[in-house]
Amino acid sequence: MIRTVWAVARNDLAIWGRAPGIIAAALLPALGMGILVAVITATIGMQPLALVVEGNGPLAARMAHLLQADAEAYLLSPMRRVEADQALHDQKVAAIVVIPEDFDRQVVVGAARVDLVLNNVVDMDLADDIRRSVTRSVAEFDAPQLGIVGELHGPTAGIVLPNPFRVAIAERDLRRTNVTFPQYQVIPIIILVVISVGLLGTALLTARDFERSTIKLALLAPVRRGWVIAGKLLGGVLLTAALLVPLVLLGAVTRFLPSCRRDFALGSGTLKQLLSVPCGWILPVPSLTHGLAVLALVGAVTATAVGLGLLLGTAVRGTSLVVMVGLNAAVYLFFLGGGFATVPFLPAWLQTASRLVPTSYAIAGLRQALFYPDLVGFGRDLLVLCASAAGATALGTLALARGWRRA
Amino acid sequence: MSWPRLVWASALLELQQLRRSRLFVALTVLAALSFLALVSLFGLTGSNAPLALIDQDSGPYAHRFIQALAAVPHAFTLRPMTASAADAQLREGRLVGAITIPANFSAAVEQGSTVPLEVRVDNVNNDLTFDLQRALPAAITIFGRDLGLPGIRVALVEHDLLAHDTGFVAYLVVSARALDAFIVAGVLGAIAVAREWEGRTIKLWRLAPASPGALLAGKLMAAGLVAAVALAATVLVVIVGYHVVPVAPLAVMGGLAACIVMFTCLGAWLGASLRRSLLAVPLIFGLVMPVYIDSGALEPARFDGETVWIIAHASPLYYAVGVLEWAFHGLRVTPEPVLVDFGILFALAAASLVAARTALSQVRWR
Repeated sequence: MIRTVWAVARNDLAIWGRAPGIIAAALLPALGMGILVAVITATIGMQPLALVVEGNGPLAARMAHLLQADAEAYLLSPMRRVEADQALHDQKVAAIVVIPEDFDRQVVVGAARVDLVLNNVVDMDLADDIRRSVTRSVAEFDAPQLGIVGELHGPTAGIVLPNPFRVAIAERDLRRTNVTFPQYQVIPIIILVVISVGLLGTALLTARDFERSTIKLALLAPVRRGWVIAGKLLGGVLLTAALLVPLVLLGAVTRFLPSCRRDFALGSGTLKQLLSVPCGWILPVPSLTHGLAVLALVGAVTATAVGLGLLLGTAVRGTSLVVMVGLNAAVYLFFLGGGFATVPFLPAWLQTASRLVPTSYAIAGLRQALFYPDLVGFGRDLLVLCASAAGATALGTLALARGWRRA
Repeated sequence: MSWPRLVWASALLELQQLRRSRLFVALTVLAALSFLALVSLFGLTGSNAPLALIDQDSGPYAHRFIQALAAVPHAFTLRPMTASAADAQLREGRLVGAITIPANFSAAVEQGSTVPLEVRVDNVNNDLTFDLQRALPAAITIFGRDLGLPGIRVALVEHDLLAHDTGFVAYLVVSARALDAFIVAGVLGAIAVAREWEGRTIKLWRLAPASPGALLAGKLMAAGLVAAVALAATVLVVIVGYHVVPVAPLAVMGGLAACIVMFTCLGAWLGASLRRSLLAVPLIFGLVMPVYIDSGALEPARFDGETVWIIAHASPLYYAVGVLEWAFHGLRVTPEPVLVDFGILFALAAASLVAARTALSQVRWR
């Protein structure tokens, strides 16, 4: 039996090897989504602002220093007012922060102001971020502990400086691990690769068998059909693993890139940002327990995808249709599974929809195993995925068995 | 046979082919609608993060502070709960954090003391942590300002360039029209041409006494027509479902028409180059999202930095988004005037016609 299963799997792998088009078709959308995350990382983030300091006094200088010191919030470029207005018109900056000429005098009487001239073209992603960041910097003038250093190390350590707002923040971080946006997004991309290759790849190979009638050869072979099906499933799993392992290894190697070191100093601004894009692919090294958990979870997702691929390829048969159905399915599985979102933060009805797709359990489980010190909720995720794998495999097997009868 | 009759006959034939591939066409339209829904989903992320509110005071100042938290636009969804419930939800990753207003809050504020509020943060995702860290001081500032507390010496005065902010989702669903045009028209254009190789009917093109240009024009006209119907449906969804009514409807039609011509021809070029729909369709799907994001799809591209902005000029979607955001919202999202965006869009559409024709001219020789 093992020899038969292995022979069928090896045959499928050989066909894969001779048909790079099928591999490309399965990998391209997932890789495109990976590039998308890299592009988003390079594009979203700090907004360019112009700083115009019209006041000459020490207090105006201090205000300017506070604004410039908040380097993780925005990219601030000191300019003259005329230059800043032109830059705002040319969209080189999203806003101008003006410290007026009479700033020092007005501070003494408690009526100073900082002007924010804002290109409020979009609310959440742009205007709101700028408003909050500038507000924080301005508030620091009267309440130094409202800055990020104060939030993290002031009241938290029991040091509360009185401030006129009468409220301070004592931030306590609950996790030892914290990851950047691209690192957080790598997890759904890995799941998308598994889904795309397992589902689309297996479906395309199955559809190809029907289109070229090579499926009849399997029917004529003097072996049990169940073994042939097992071989096909094994082939899909092995291929998915073969494409996934190099990507994971890349994630392990990326940490050694010079541009991913903390002390990397080459370039600045956008160049530095672009050079650090691959660093988003850094994967954390899990402990043995968490590593085994990851393996079990990825295995269950792969089995689900391959089973669904078998079902799709048998049900649809035409390769063009398989591609379209598979791509649509992969897109929904990715986004509804939390590809770009933290599912519990979404509206209730979307959370309900998300619970119906296995990818949400896969993404949540993988994040839990890789980023969190414990495995809270992981058992439930793995259980759902194992059930999905069993269901998908059974459906795929039944569909193929039925398809054979009609072949 | 005259050129127009050839074009017409070829278009009719392609429409018949598409009628036979109804499921494929339906799936292409579904993909367009899916992307509309999915960019909306993307627009919902990164804002209104759930924050547990543990109010142990319930006094008047606690009430005012909660109002200040709620007044920070798009920052939090406040979820009042007990400390133990917050602990449980934080452990499960269901909250971005939990803020506790201590029992003596109102009394201490009344006396002029500074009260530290404990904020426990699920800091795994830096992006969400930064958002929270920026939003809390904004709430504190609102609290102090609204109460007219003494000792606040500096205030931020905002001057907006536009009368109102455009909602992120409203902005996204408009830029996603260009994305949809790319997908629908590109896929249909690619399939129309690649099918000739897959079905080996390209040999008939070589033998036919008709101009390949006329045959191609007919096929692309039919593909473009179907793409236009699909896009019209998505525009209708944007108008009716999202209540985003275009300020310049003619510009919407012109911009989308140019997109359809351009992307149908680019799809045809891709189909002729790859000769297999199996490769062309996934390639379009793989290409479209990164190109879309680097085209001012989320915010004006120049705010992302000069390098990103310069690269964005290579993408036709950059000009399409410039035209569509102006046509729907009246927004100027490219430093170039909208007329220039329009001009380049039409020039690219014309160039793509030439590219598709050139790809087909190889038919005679291969």
